[in-house]
Formats: sequence, C-alpha cells, structure tokens
Amino acid sequence: MATKKISKKEIAKLLGIWNQQLSVFVPSKEENVAKMVRWDGIDVSFLDWYRNTVIPCKANFLPSMERMFSFKKNEDGYHTEIPQDKQKQLIFGIRPCDARGIATMDKVFTETYEDFYYVSKRKNTLLIGLSCTNPYDSCFCTSLGLEPTEAADVDLMFTDIGDEFLIEEITDKGEELLVATSLVKQATKADDAKAKMLKATVSAMVRKKVDIKEIAKKLQACFSDKDYWEKVAAKCISCGVCTFLCPTCFCFDICDELVKKQGARYRGWDSCSFRLYTKMPMENPREEKWRRVRQRVCHKYEFYPMNFDVTACTGCGRCIRLCPVNWDISQILSSLPTSAISRSEK
Amino acid sequence: MAITDINQRKKLIAKDNVYLPHLVVIEKIIEETPSIRTLHFNFKDEKLRKGFTFESGQFAELSIFGIGEATFCISSSPTRNDHLECTINRVGVVTNAMHRLSIGAEIGFRGPYGGSSFPLELMRGKNLVFIGGGIGLAPLRSLIWNVLDNRDRYENIDIIYGARSPADLCFRYDLDSWNQDKTINMITTVDKGDKNWTGREGFVPAVLEQIAPSAKKAIAVVCGPPIMIRLTFPVLEKLGFAPEQMITTLEKRMKCGIGKCGRCNIGNLYVCRDGPVFTYAQIRNFISDEY
Amino acid sequence: MEQELRKEARKLLEEGKVDYIVGFAGGSLKFTATPLITKEKEEVASLVVNPFIVNNLAKFLTEVPGRIGIVAKGCDSRSVVSLIQDNQVIRENVVIIGVPCSGLIDIAKVEKLVNRDRDEIDDITLQGEKVAVIIGGRKTELPTKEVLFEHCLGCESPTPQEYDILVGKPTNAIGDKELSRRRIKQLEDMVPEQRWAFWKEQLGRCIRCYACRQVCPACFCERCFVEESQPQWISSVSQWQDNLMFQVIRNIHVAGRCTDCGECERVCPQNIPLRSLSKKMSEFVDEMFHYQAGLNKDAPALMTAYEQVEAEDLIM
Repeated sequence: MATKKISKKEIAKLLGIWNQQLSVFVPSKEENVAKMVRWDGIDVSFLDWYRNTVIPCKANFLPSMERMFSFKKNEDGYHTEIPQDKQKQLIFGIRPCDARGIATMDKVFTETYEDFYYVSKRKNTLLIGLSCTNPYDSCFCTSLGLEPTEAADVDLMFTDIGDEFLIEEITDKGEELLVATSLVKQATKADDAKAKMLKATVSAMVRKKVDIKEIAKKLQACFSDKDYWEKVAAKCISCGVCTFLCPTCFCFDICDELVKKQGARYRGWDSCSFRLYTKMPMENPREEKWRRVRQRVCHKYEFYPMNFDVTACTGCGRCIRLCPVNWDISQILSSLPTSAISRSEK
Repeated sequence: MAITDINQRKKLIAKDNVYLPHLVVIEKIIEETPSIRTLHFNFKDEKLRKGFTFESGQFAELSIFGIGEATFCISSSPTRNDHLECTINRVGVVTNAMHRLSIGAEIGFRGPYGGSSFPLELMRGKNLVFIGGGIGLAPLRSLIWNVLDNRDRYENIDIIYGARSPADLCFRYDLDSWNQDKTINMITTVDKGDKNWTGREGFVPAVLEQIAPSAKKAIAVVCGPPIMIRLTFPVLEKLGFAPEQMITTLEKRMKCGIGKCGRCNIGNLYVCRDGPVFTYAQIRNFISDEY
Repeated sequence: MEQELRKEARKLLEEGKVDYIVGFAGGSLKFTATPLITKEKEEVASLVVNPFIVNNLAKFLTEVPGRIGIVAKGCDSRSVVSLIQDNQVIRENVVIIGVPCSGLIDIAKVEKLVNRDRDEIDDITLQGEKVAVIIGGRKTELPTKEVLFEHCLGCESPTPQEYDILVGKPTNAIGDKELSRRRIKQLEDMVPEQRWAFWKEQLGRCIRCYACRQVCPACFCERCFVEESQPQWISSVSQWQDNLMFQVIRNIHVAGRCTDCGECERVCPQNIPLRSLSKKMSEFVDEMFHYQAGLNKDAPALMTAYEQVEAEDLIM
C-alpha cells in the first residue's frame, strides 16, 4: 500500500476532522501523569513531550471501573438495563507495545464467550499508532518480537520523519479515515527511505534485551522451587501497580452496589498480586507471597502462551518504571535457573 | 471429559451479553442442614423453562441483585428438568443472603458453565463407585440421578456418602431413595455419630477401604472437601483403580465463570473453562500444584 | 559511609547476630535504589547509601522471618520504633543500622525542573546547597531545597534516634519547614468546598492499586478494612467516593503511626498528593495528643493504649 504523509502543522486539523464523527483521545498530562484523555479540540503540544502513558490504552476497553448493568425492583420483579455505550472512539498516539497489548487481550475476551463490554468498545474504536522516537531505558519490546515502530495491531501508523508524519494504512478502516481530507499527501520514495532509516535508529535505542526463548520451559522446570521463588519475591510488596499498568493484564472483579431497591453490577480491575485474590472460605491456594509472584510470572510467560500462542507481555517497561520497590521482571527472566529441577512430590 | 482444546468448548445458551443474568424464581426451599439449603427454581422466561439444558457437573453463577454473585454447581439432574436445583452452604455475604430468601424471590442465573462435565459415555457399561462427602454430594447427586434415570446403561452402583455428623447429612430424601433401590449398594457413614445414630461411623476414605469395591471395569467419581479427595485417591489406587478411572470436580474461587477474570486458574487451565470435572490422570499432569 | 555499612552488615551475618540483612542496593534504573533482603554475606557488598534510598524498609520487618539487621534512615528508624510500640516487632530481634540522612532527592522534581525523564539525565550529584544535574554533557545546577522531597524538607530526625550501630556521622537536615508545608498550606487556605472539590478530583483518579497501603510500614493489618465483606465498608472498585473514604479511613488507622516517610505519595502511579493528608493527620495528632510517632520505643502506642488520666480538652 502506498504510504501517505501529513505535515505536523496540520495534525490538529486532521484530528479536528475526525473529532466531528468520533471521540478523539490523545495523550495528555494530568498532575504530570500521562494518559489518554478526550481531546480538547485544540492542544497538540503532546507531540513535544509524549513518550508513553502511565495508564495503558487497555483502560479504554477494560476501564478500571465499569458499570455492567443497573437493576431495579418493580412490582413485577427485577429489571436490568445495560448502559448504551455506542460512542465511536479514536485513540491517537497509541504505541506499538500498547497496541500489541490490546491485540493480546483480544484473545481472552473473544474466545468461546464474547465479552460484551470489551468487544463492543473494541468494535467501536479506531487505533492510530505512533512510532516511538525515544524509548525508555526500561523498554524491551524488541525482545518480544515487537518493534517500537511497527504496528500490525493498529488502523493507521504515524511515523515522525521530521516536519511531517509518514502514514501507513494498516486496515481498511484506517484507509477510510484519510479519504475525506486533502491534508494528507502521497509520500515520496525519499520519505519512505527516511522513515526506514529512522525506524532502524529507534529500534537500536531499545537497549534492554531479555532472552525469552524457551522461557516457558524454564519456568516449568523451576515451578516447584520454593526457595528460588521466595528469593525472587522477597522485596515485592504485593500492591497492584504492575498488574494495573500492564497493557496485557486483564484480571477483574465483579461486585454489586445497592441503594434501596436499585443499584448496579460493576466490574473493576483486580490483581493476582493481592493476597485475597484467590481466597476461598476454607483455604487460600496463594496465601504466600512467593506463590503470587510465581503465578504472575508464569501466567505471562508460560500459561497465557500455552492457551493463546502469544506472550502476555509487550516489553513496555511500565512495571519496571513504576514498581514502588523496583522489582524488575527483565532481571528475573534473565536469571531463571537453567537446570531442570524435578517437581517435588506433594 | 476435560476439554482442554479451547476450540471444542461449547457455547451454551449464548445471550447477547454473557454477564447479564437470566431471571429465575424460587419455587421451593429445602433446609438440608443448619447451614445448607437447596433452592428449587425456574426461569421466568417461558422459552428458557422449556429449552434450557445442561450436563451433570456443570455449574451456574447465581446472584442476588445488590449483594453479589457466587458459583454453585447445579445439583439437579438434566433428566429431570422441570426445574433446577442448587445447594448452598452459608459461608459468606452472598450465601448468607441466599439463606434469607423466600419462595417467590427473584435471583439471577448465569450458566450453565464448565467446559467439562461428568463423562457419561466413559461410564457407560461400567461399574460405578460414587464417593461423596458433606455438601460434595451436590454435584454427585446430579450425576447419580442422571445415571439412575438411564439405569440400564450402567452396571453395579456403589454409593459411599459421609458427613461430619448425622446433622450434617445432606439430601436425606435421596439417601432414603437410594437405600431402597435394590440395584444400588448404598453406604452412609458419619465421622462421629450422635446418641440416636445407629448407622456406620468412620471417615469416608476408611469406609471406602472397608467396602473395597472392585476396580474391574469400574469408574470412581469423588466429590467432597479437598482433604477428603486427597485422602480418597490413594485408597482407590490401592484398590487397583488407575488414574484414568478416578474422576473428581475441583473448586476454586470464581467470578466470571467463563475464563475471563483470571481468578480460578491452575497453571494454564481455568477450573471454570476447562473443568470443573477432571480425572486424576489429568490432575497428576497439571503443570501447577495449586489445587 | 557505604564501606562502613557493608562491613557492619557483613559482620552481623558472619557472627550470626542476624538471619537477614535488609538494606538498599542499586536499582535497575538510573537514580533508583531497591530493597536488598539477603542471608548471604557476599551480597551485602551491594549495599548502597546515596540520595535515592527512598524505600521505608521497616515495611519488611513484619514479613521477613527471624532476626533482622535493618538499614534505617531517621524516618525509617521511627517506623521501626512505632512497630515495636505496636508489638509487631520485638526490639531484641532487630539490629538497627542507623544511616544519617540530610535529605533525599525527589527525582520527579528534578525531571520537572529540567524537563527531562530520568533516563535522559546523565548524572545527579548532591553538593550541599546545590544539586548538579548533567544532561548530554551540560551541567545545570538546581538549589537543593527545590529537589529534595517535601517530607525531607520538614525532617526532624535526620539522624536516627534509635539504633544499634550508627554508620557515618550524625547530620542535620537541609530543611525548610515552610517549603515542606507549601501544599498543605495551600489546602489549609481553601474553604471547605474548595478542599472537597480538590480531593474529589484527585481521588477520582485513584485506581485502587493499594501501593500507598502496601508500602506503608504502619499498614500491617492481616486483613485490611477494604477486604472485609461482612460488613462491607467501601466498594472494591474504583469510584471517587470510595477512594476518598479509603484514604480517610486509612489515615485515621495510621494516625499516631505515620512517620512522614513520604513513601505513599512517591509510589502513587497517579501522583495523588497523599502526603498532604497523612502529614496533616500527624499534625493533628501532635496538636491533640502532643505525640509524634516512633520517638520512644517504651512509650505506649497512641491509639491502642489506655491511661486512667487522659487529656480531656477534646471533649467539649
């Protein structure tokens, strides 16, 4: 597909055209915390500072708190009502790691039973990717088969080539977005070459490397090594930061609220790091911290790939950057015991 | 059997929104023990009342609007589907609220869930040994009635059921029926009897060893508290049962029931999506020891 | 100071005086430290003392088993004492290795002032009244008071008051009381409606990750009130009302135990100014009960001790 381009000066206009039909989300800072917010129609200064958001774009599909349905008791019994959320969205500036995160989450939310809320938002959202220009020192997307500038998981891909953005049309829906405007021009071969060179440069900037070849096997071999996992888990404080900020973590809790005879059922983020996550009346299979830490690592790099053929990690590095105690998963993955340890007898 | 190939899992009673419960109305309540009651209920929707079906071993998510949702196995048999039954042990917020419901109350029902149910085809033509403890009889009873309603498909039937005390015995009306059924060898036991108890005393695994059912052409189905199951398997092995001949249901904390909220996993398997029924052979091959 | 610390820690392990050493090691990111919890005497060679050793290691005393040699700054040692007062830690099971600290650098403040993220900065050096920040070879100097943590500016115990071994020399804080209370003062100057709107907006962004609770040594409850379901105090999902109540109740629960280590605010991924709540609460506690947390290990804990003769000026 022939590439297109747009001058950086015209970005606000382009977003403005899209904003007429869709809710456009762009990166913004609230109390110095970068996140995707509804575009105010004017400000595109994020292009100057934006590296990545703190809250990943999964929040647009699986919000931290979501009303599933409300209920009310009438004379003839209970009536339920699902919130009508047909709003079409466009997220501008999603990074390849976050886009891959959503593609990864798609697997679990569409298999066997479609997750109504996730899927309806997903169907109504367009993703406009933005190639990285300045990866963090904690980024390791390239170790997971991603490139900070490639995005098979978005509808359009923007790459900064100086005064302009090169635009790649990835899906038909993405192509349609560019049809109605003269702001977008054909890119030249020189533009393509420039983009290619810049992409290679950025890719080389991702310096952290983690060898995840055979990681599932290594994890399986050391699964029962309590001493190892206790050491690994020692400084973890069992909060939920890594899981909540992870683009591929999706665990949720369902709860009800009731005031007089009406209320609603909600779902919200939950974390396998929390001690009571798996608690049953008589026992808790993950009472000890090392079991929870083991679960987290194994789920992402062993169990999820076993089920869906894709690693539940995109190397975005948020868990490393924002962990209160600097627990670093790349260090753990790089230092798994390589000798097979036989599973201990129960 | 446990369907670990996710492509084989069935979509049952798919609704537009899988999280929106169907409404069911409570028709009858049986107080089994001071902390356990069985609810008989039916769908409000006519079509569902007629068309709903499930398999023994599957479970449902019942909810009381405003209180919450919890997982219960369907304790009635799919062969007797004029109504549905679930048995509820009072342990937390939702179950305590379930114990305060009256006939006519409306609750939410999501289901049937569970990617693997009791393998009736595997059990066909075999001698069956049902081993239950306490409220663990609930999923078993769905299976037992299912089997009895097609009695000629199966050979000998042994039922060994035990509870902590006579007051803790569940489904007494079923125990009576099975006692009177001459094609069933019904053994009831309690850990400790009271002054009126004239029956057997002893832990279920110990009683199983005494009764010593033959493992030849047999399938054993075990349901009960985890400790009972863990002590029963070695006894069955001693009696000559191969791991493929031993079947059980596993229990974990659940929320969504459909393999999405992430909670009930044992390694890469979700008890809701890939279970809850597993053979001992499968369990021994679990990559995780968290069961 | 680092060499002395490593020597002392190693000696404690070698002489079998402790089972574990809990201290700071260099982190995997720039200008970051990380807790080091180890039984191995070789590993204490990684112990560091620098202006980034932010963690309050007292947190680990309630979960690491056995006798522990803990590296403690002034605020941390007060947390240790507070835990001793609450009978969560036995004094004889802890060897406190005191580390005098005149203030730690808030990397977030540096980032804001130089308009760069930490991985884009080459070096940060604390040089008395000034902090030298080197980016791409070029040096910028920032006044130290602008880049220290707020709670460090208000520090009243730069040298640990309770310790078994003191590493280095006692020091003074590079303090500035007014600067340390700047945001609290802003809130004090608001009328209640403004303040309510402020906290409603801030806590609307809370995602209930519980990092603030988990990082706090004073939060040692086996089962937090949030996790109770009978009765259920607050919703388990994130809504501003419940998030606000969570902070209110948590602050009430840790009143008299909070030593203003500032960790709750530092770890919040949404940059909610939690210290403004907890510090103000400690100020209330001081006003009402003339009590500051963690200064006297033999004193009864504030909220759990009963005296026959109590101050009655609270009762109207």
